Amino acid sequence: MEMPPRSAAQQEKNRAFEAEALRWLPDVTRFALSLARDEADADDLVQETFLKAYASWDRFTPGTECRAWLFVICRNAFRRGRVREARYVDADDAELEALAAAAVHASALQSGFGELFATVDLSDAVARALEQLPEPFREAVTLVDLHDQSYDEAAQILDVPVGTVRSRLFRARRLMQEALIDHARDAGLAPNTQSQPRPEGGR
Amino acid sequence: MRIFNRLFRRAHAPSIDCDTVMRQLWDYLDGELTADRAAAIRQHVEMCSRCKPQTDFEAAFLEAVKRTRREHPQPERLRGALLEALAKQGFASS
Repeated sequence: MEMPPRSAAQQEKNRAFEAEALRWLPDVTRFALSLARDEADADDLVQETFLKAYASWDRFTPGTECRAWLFVICRNAFRRGRVREARYVDADDAELEALAAAAVHASALQSGFGELFATVDLSDAVARALEQLPEPFREAVTLVDLHDQSYDEAAQILDVPVGTVRSRLFRARRLMQEALIDHARDAGLAPNTQSQPRPEGGR
Repeated sequence: MRIFNRLFRRAHAPSIDCDTVMRQLWDYLDGELTADRAAAIRQHVEMCSRCKPQTDFEAAFLEAVKRTRREHPQPERLRGALLEALAKQGFASS
């Protein structure tokens, strides 16, 4: 079989890379921002991700989910660049975590915050609660809640079993909710007095 | 016939109790269940005074989390720098 000229192959690689990979730049950027927290580090991470993706483009299987492939590269690059958190954070059991959510809701009801998330704009506090999560939990929330990845997709990206994604995700949500209820209580947000979302400490 | 089918389906819908809903609530809200299972939970939640408030609470929480998606403040600058770095590796935008 006759091989195409090198320049034609290069052109085809560039065309495919632009169409398949570069289209996900905004998504990879958001993902990097959520991992790195710092904007300059996120920029470096994005650049490293796409340079690695371009260098190993022949290993990408056309027709598969390119965005997930880029997320894997991005996450690996991020983890290589920092010391992993030594603290053991894996959640025990997804089912227990799911049931624990009911306890958090009961606590919110008891405190008068049963409609907290529907009635108060807590954007800043939610972002802070997300940032404060241990990294494996933050990754699960980032992929599923911010990037609309399914549990299976997130498991592939994180290279862990689906059950681990579920338990990390559910615990992460519980930790965030507890932090947000504490925040609302500390901030003196009046429970259940608003009928429409309003800015935190709204006027 | 349509009414009969509806009644038949309702009569044979898998019954779900509150405990099961609690165990599968996140899976339900994340769209991870089969259509039949999701429909059964939706049906239960709509009629259950215990499960409905928690479902609304969790759904509102997920919406609040989604609203925190961060966008890069200067996407064009980032894209320009990236294309420049890729060009050194042989990439050329068409």
